[in-house]
Amino acid sequence: MNRLSIFCLLFSAFCFLASAQDARQIVAESENRSRSKSQQYEGTLEVIGASNKVSVKRWQYRRIGSYGTSKVILRFTAPAEVKGVALLIVNHTDRASDQWMWTPAIERDRRIAVQDRSTRFFGTDFSFEDLEERDVDQFDYKVAGEDSIDGAACWKIESKPKQSKSSQYTSSLVWVRKDNYVGAQIENYSKEKLIRRIHYSDIQNVSGIWTPRTVEVYDANRKSRTVLKLEKLEYNLPMKDEDFTLEALRRE
Amino acid sequence: MILLKLISWPYVRQHLPRWLLTIAGIVLGVAVFVGIHTANQSVVYAFHQTVDRIAGSTELQISAGETGFDENVLDRVQAVPEVRVAVPVIEAVVGTGVQGQGNLLILGVDMTGDRSLRDYDLESNGQGGDEGIDDPLVFLAQPDSLMVTDTYARENHLAIGAKVPMSTMDGRKLFTVRGVMKSGGLTSAFGGNLAVMDVYAAQKVFGRGRKFDRIDLAVKDGASIAAVRTKLEALLGPGFQVQEPSARAQQFDTIARVYTLTANVTSVFALFIGMFIIYNTFQIAVTQRRAEIGILRALGATRGQIRTLFLGESVVAGLFGSVLGLLAGIAIARGMTGYIGSLLGEIYGIAQKADEISTNPMLMTFAVVLGVITSVVAALIPAQSAARVDPVQALQKGKYQQLSAGENRARRIAALVVAIAAASCLLLERFRIFFYVGDALAVLAALLLTPTFALWLARALRPLLRWMRPVEGTLAADSLLQAPRRTSGAVAALMLSLALVVALGGLTRASYDSIFGWLKVALNPDLFVSPSQSLTQRDFRFPESMGAQLRAIPGVGDIQMVRDARVLIQGQPTMFVAADITELRKHATLPPVAGDEKEMFRLTAQGKAVLASDNFATLRGFKLGDVVDIPSPSGVLHLPIAGIVTDYSDEQGSLLVDRSLYKRYWNDTTVNIFRIYLARGAAEAEVKRRILEQFGNQRRLFVLTNRDVRRYILRLTDQWFGITYVQIAVAVLVAILGIVNTLTVSITDRRRELGVLQAVGGLRNQIRGTIWLEALAVGTVGVILGLALGALQLYYSLHISAEDMAGLRLSYEYPYPIALMLLPGILAVAFLSAIAPAETAVRGSLVEALEYE
Amino acid sequence: MLELANVGKVFQGKRKVTALENVDLSIGRGEMVSIVGPSGSGKSTLLNLIGGLDTATSGEIEIDGRRLSGLSDDELTRLRRDKIGFIFQFFNLLPTLSCFENVAIPLHLRGWPKKKIEERASELLTLVGLAARREHLPDELSGGERQRCAIARALSVYPPVLLADEPTGNLDTHTGAEILALIRDLHERLGSTVLIVTHDIHVAESCARLVALRDGRIEEDRAGRRAAIIHDPAETH
Repeated sequence: MNRLSIFCLLFSAFCFLASAQDARQIVAESENRSRSKSQQYEGTLEVIGASNKVSVKRWQYRRIGSYGTSKVILRFTAPAEVKGVALLIVNHTDRASDQWMWTPAIERDRRIAVQDRSTRFFGTDFSFEDLEERDVDQFDYKVAGEDSIDGAACWKIESKPKQSKSSQYTSSLVWVRKDNYVGAQIENYSKEKLIRRIHYSDIQNVSGIWTPRTVEVYDANRKSRTVLKLEKLEYNLPMKDEDFTLEALRRE
Repeated sequence: MILLKLISWPYVRQHLPRWLLTIAGIVLGVAVFVGIHTANQSVVYAFHQTVDRIAGSTELQISAGETGFDENVLDRVQAVPEVRVAVPVIEAVVGTGVQGQGNLLILGVDMTGDRSLRDYDLESNGQGGDEGIDDPLVFLAQPDSLMVTDTYARENHLAIGAKVPMSTMDGRKLFTVRGVMKSGGLTSAFGGNLAVMDVYAAQKVFGRGRKFDRIDLAVKDGASIAAVRTKLEALLGPGFQVQEPSARAQQFDTIARVYTLTANVTSVFALFIGMFIIYNTFQIAVTQRRAEIGILRALGATRGQIRTLFLGESVVAGLFGSVLGLLAGIAIARGMTGYIGSLLGEIYGIAQKADEISTNPMLMTFAVVLGVITSVVAALIPAQSAARVDPVQALQKGKYQQLSAGENRARRIAALVVAIAAASCLLLERFRIFFYVGDALAVLAALLLTPTFALWLARALRPLLRWMRPVEGTLAADSLLQAPRRTSGAVAALMLSLALVVALGGLTRASYDSIFGWLKVALNPDLFVSPSQSLTQRDFRFPESMGAQLRAIPGVGDIQMVRDARVLIQGQPTMFVAADITELRKHATLPPVAGDEKEMFRLTAQGKAVLASDNFATLRGFKLGDVVDIPSPSGVLHLPIAGIVTDYSDEQGSLLVDRSLYKRYWNDTTVNIFRIYLARGAAEAEVKRRILEQFGNQRRLFVLTNRDVRRYILRLTDQWFGITYVQIAVAVLVAILGIVNTLTVSITDRRRELGVLQAVGGLRNQIRGTIWLEALAVGTVGVILGLALGALQLYYSLHISAEDMAGLRLSYEYPYPIALMLLPGILAVAFLSAIAPAETAVRGSLVEALEYE
Repeated sequence: MLELANVGKVFQGKRKVTALENVDLSIGRGEMVSIVGPSGSGKSTLLNLIGGLDTATSGEIEIDGRRLSGLSDDELTRLRRDKIGFIFQFFNLLPTLSCFENVAIPLHLRGWPKKKIEERASELLTLVGLAARREHLPDELSGGERQRCAIARALSVYPPVLLADEPTGNLDTHTGAEILALIRDLHERLGSTVLIVTHDIHVAESCARLVALRDGRIEEDRAGRRAAIIHDPAETH
C-alpha cells in the first residue's frame, strides 16, 4: 500500500501552476496533501486467485507519523488461524524500511530481510516492498504525459528509484489526479515488464484528506487480484511512539 | 585363440566343476569389492544428492560445525551488500510415528526469503487454487504447519489438512500438512521423506533456542562467489565455515572413507586368496596336461605359444569370474546399502537415505580389470612351468614331474631374506610406509615358507595318521607329501584366511575389551535423560533449566549436563564434549594415558585446557601440552591439552572441555544429555518412572538406564564390526573353496592310485577315509600355520588400527577362544568339503582309473 | 576255478562297441593260461571282468564257485581281495610308499594285526627276492624289482588266482624273462591259478595253455608250444 498512492492528497497552496509543474513537484504535492499525524483503519483483504478462489482476511492498521519517518503496525484480526500475526514497519528517509513480523503462536518475531522484500506478502498480491512508504526523495521523476483514469484527468509520471534505493522494480508509472492530487493508479515494471498494477478508487474526503477507500492490486504474472477495503478510517488520533516498537509488537 | 578353442575348451569342459570352483575365488573377490564399494558409494551418493537437492540454488553455506550459531549472524550476513539472499536453515531427522515410513528429514526454513533459493514447486490444492500452501500466512502463523513432498503424501495418504504425529521437545504433537511439494528438485532429497516447516517453529520443536544450524545464501549477480566467501570468512571469523554446498557433502566422504578402507582390505584379501586358488588349479592343470603340452611341443608349438595358451585361459577365467562377481556384487550392494546407510546415519547422525544403489561404471571396469589381472598374475608361474615342459620327458608315460629340491632351497632362502627385510622394517616402524611394507613382507615370507612348513607338518602328521588308520592315514599324509604344490596353494589360502580371522578376531576382542573397560570406569551414571532414543542424534536439545527440575525429583543425586557436537578442528569434524568437569570427576574415573590426573582436571575445569581422547591424540598427532586451535563462533580458542584420556565417544577422536567454556564461547546453553546419579538408596526404576511422570507429557524425553546405554553402545560397536564378520565369513568361505579345490584336484591327480587301492582290495569306505583324512590333514596344517601367522598379523592389525584408523591403543591379546574354535570348526569344514570329492572318487570307473594315462 | 559262460561286454557310448561276445571259458585250479590277441581284441576287458574291476553286460562269471553278477561293489571288492591278485604292466606301486609298505597295503586293508603284517610282508619280499630292498621307494628300484614288488603285493594273502596284465610289457627281454620265471615259479610252488594277458608270443607260448582272442571272441584255445622249453629259467642266462 504505497503511501504515495493510498493516502495522498490535499490541495497544495504553492502549486498554483498545475499544468506547468514539474513531475517531482506533483509528487511532492500529492505527498503533502495526504500528510497526517496518524492514521488508523480496519482493512478487509480479498484475494481473488486466477481461478476465482476468494480468501478473506482482516487487519487493523495503525500508523504514526508520515512518509519517511512513519511507523506502522498492522495486526491481523481474522480469520482465526492468523489472528494476532502482526507486522511492524519502520520507515526511513535514507534507506529501505525495517520490517518485523510477529507470530504469537510461537511467540517469535522475525525480521523481514531487505533482500526478501520482493516476495509476496503472505498470499496477497502485495509484496513486502509495496507495504513501504515511498519517500519522494528516493526517486527520480519525469512527466510521461497525461491520461485519464476512471474518467478523471491525470498526470502520468514515470518514476525510477535512485541508486541508494533498493527496489525490485526498475521503474513505475504513476497516475496522479489533477483535481485532488490523489494517485489513481501505479504500474510497477521490472525491465519493461509489468509486474503489478495498483488501482485506487472510491476516493473520499476523510478529515480533510482525500483517501481512496478501495485499493486493488493486480499481479500480472499470476493473474490474480487482491482488493483492500479501508473501513473505520480515522486520521490524527493521538498515538504514542512507544506503541510502535518491537516490544510493542510482541505485546498483545 | 584357436589353440584356446581346440586345446583349452575341451579340458575346461571336462573339468567344469573344478573350473567353476577355481574362478569362485575371483567371483568372491570381485563381488565383495564391488558390493561393499557400491553400497558405500550409494550411501555417499545419497548423501550428496540430499545435500545437493536441499541446497537448491544456494551458492554458499555458513555453519559452525554442528553447534549452530546465534540468530544475529543472519543479520550480519544479510547486511553484506554482495549477498543477494541469505536464509536460515535448521535440519533435523525425526522419526514420525508413521508405520513403515522410517525417518523424516525436517527442513526448517524461513518461507519469506527461502523461495528465492529453493523451488518448492507447490501443488495446487485441488480446487484449482494456485497456492500449494493453502494459506502462507496460516502456514507461518501456526507452528504445527508442515509441507511434505507429494511422494510422502501419497504413500501415507496425506491430503492438505491431514495430521502427522511427531514427538517434539514439548511432547508429542500433531502437525498439520499445509502444503504439498510437487515432484522434482527438492522432493527427491532424502528419498522423498522430506518435510518443510517454519524455521522459528523448528527452533521450538527441536529445542534449539535462538540458533540456526546454517545459513544458505546466494550472491548478487556480478559478485564472485569466492570473493564473497573470503569476505564472509573475514567477517564471521574462524569459528564459522563458509563453504559451497558440495563441500559439506565432502566431509561425509571423509567419514565414509574408514569404511571404504575396511572394504578394500576384505576384497583385496578375497582376491589374493582367489589368486592362490587359481594358481593352484593352473599348476595342477599344467601337471595333468603335461602329455598334451608335450604333444603340442612335439608338433611345433613354441614355448611362447604354450605360455600364451595358459595365460589366455587365465584371462578368460578372470573375465568370466569378474563378470559373475560383478553381478553378485550388485546383489550384495542391494542388500548392504540400507545397512551401511543406517549405520553411518546412526553413528554420525548424518541425514541421508539410500534406497537405490548407484553403480559406477569406473568402479565396475576397475573391478573387472582387477579380477582379470589377479587371474593372470596367478597363472604366470604355472604358464611359465608349462612353457618349460620338456617334450621328451612329458611324453614318457607314468612319470610325474617332481618338485626339485633346488626350487625348495631357493624358496627357503628367499623367505629368509624377506623375513629379515620384514624384521628390519619393524625397526623403522615410525615411518608408516615401512610398517605396511613390513606387514606385506611378513605375509610374503610366510607364503614362501608355506610349502616347506606344509611339508614338515605333513611329515609330522604322518605317524599320527598312520596310527589312526594305517593305510588310509599313510596314503593321505603321503598325498600331501608327494604333491606339496598341490596342497601348498590350499594351505596358503587357508593360512591367510585364518590369519585374517585371528587378526580381526583379536582386534575385535581387544576393542570390545577396552570398550567394556571404558564403559565400566567412565560411563557409570545410573540414568541418562536424552531427547532422542539414540544418543548420537543431536537434533533435539534440552534447555539448561531442566537440570534444576530434574535435580528436584526425589531420588536424583548428582546431575551432569553434557552437550556434545562436532566442530571442525584442522578442517576435520571432531567430537566436542562439553561437560561439567568437576561434577564428572566426582563419579567417573578417567585414568590419564598421559598427564597428571589432578592437574589436568583442575586446568580443564577452569576452562584453561582441554582433555583429549587417546584416539584424537594418535590420529591427529597431538601430544600432551600441545595447543589445539578450536574455532568457536566467538573466535578461536587456543587451549593446551592437559591430559590424554581413554574415551570411546567417537571413532574419530574427541575433546572434552568444561561446560562453562562451551557456554561462553558458543553462547549455547542447551543440553544433549543429563547424566543422573541416583541418591543413596534410590531405586532406578522408581526414579525413571518419576522423571517420565514429571516430564513425559510436556517434553520429548527418553530415560535410559546405564544398562540400556551399554547395550546401545555395544550394539553400535557390533554394527561397526559387522563388516568384520563379513570378512570372517568371506575368509571361511574362501577356506572352504580352497579345500574343495585341493581335494578335487587331488582326486583327479590320484585317480590311478585310488584305483590301485581298490584293485588290491580297498573298500569304498576305506577310499573315502583316505580322502577325508587328507582333507583333515590339509585343514590341520592350514589351521596351525594360520594361527601362527595370525599371531603376527594381529600385531600389525593392532598397530594399523591404533595409528591409522581408530587411534585406539589396544593391548595385544591372542584370541585363544577363537583359535580354539577354529581348529574343530575348520576340521568340520574340511570334512564337509571332502564329502563330495570323496564320493566322486569312489563312484568313478575302476577300469578307467587304472588305464595308462 | 574260473567259469565264464556266454560272457559279453558292450561299451555304451556314442557308438556301441562290443568288446566281448559269447565268451565261454573254463579254467581249472592251478592252471597257467596266457591270453593273447591284437590290440582291441578284448583281452584286457576279459581280465578286468574276471578280476571284478568291471562288470559283464551279459553272461555269467564264477570264481571259485561264486557268481560275480549281483554282487554289490563292496562284496565284489571282498571277493577280489580274497581270491585275486593283480599284476599290472606299469606296476602301479604307490610312489610314496616303501617297497615293504606297498606290499603291506592289502594286508592293512584287510585289517590284519601289525605283527602278522610284518611277518607276511617280509615273507613275501623274501619270496620274490627283494628282502634287501625292503625300505626302498619304488623310484629307487629297477623295473624288474618294481615288478617283483608288485607281484609280492599281488600275493599278499596267497590268493588262488593271479591276474597279470602285460607283466613284462614294460621291461626289457632279459628282465621280462626273469619276471616270467618268477611267476611260473610261484605258480608251481603256491599252486595258484595264473592268467597272463600278453601280446608277447614268447610269453604266451611258454604257458601251458594259450587262449587267443580276436574281435571279442575266442579264436583259439590250445596248449602252449614252448611251455617246456622256457620252463627252466637258467636256460635264459
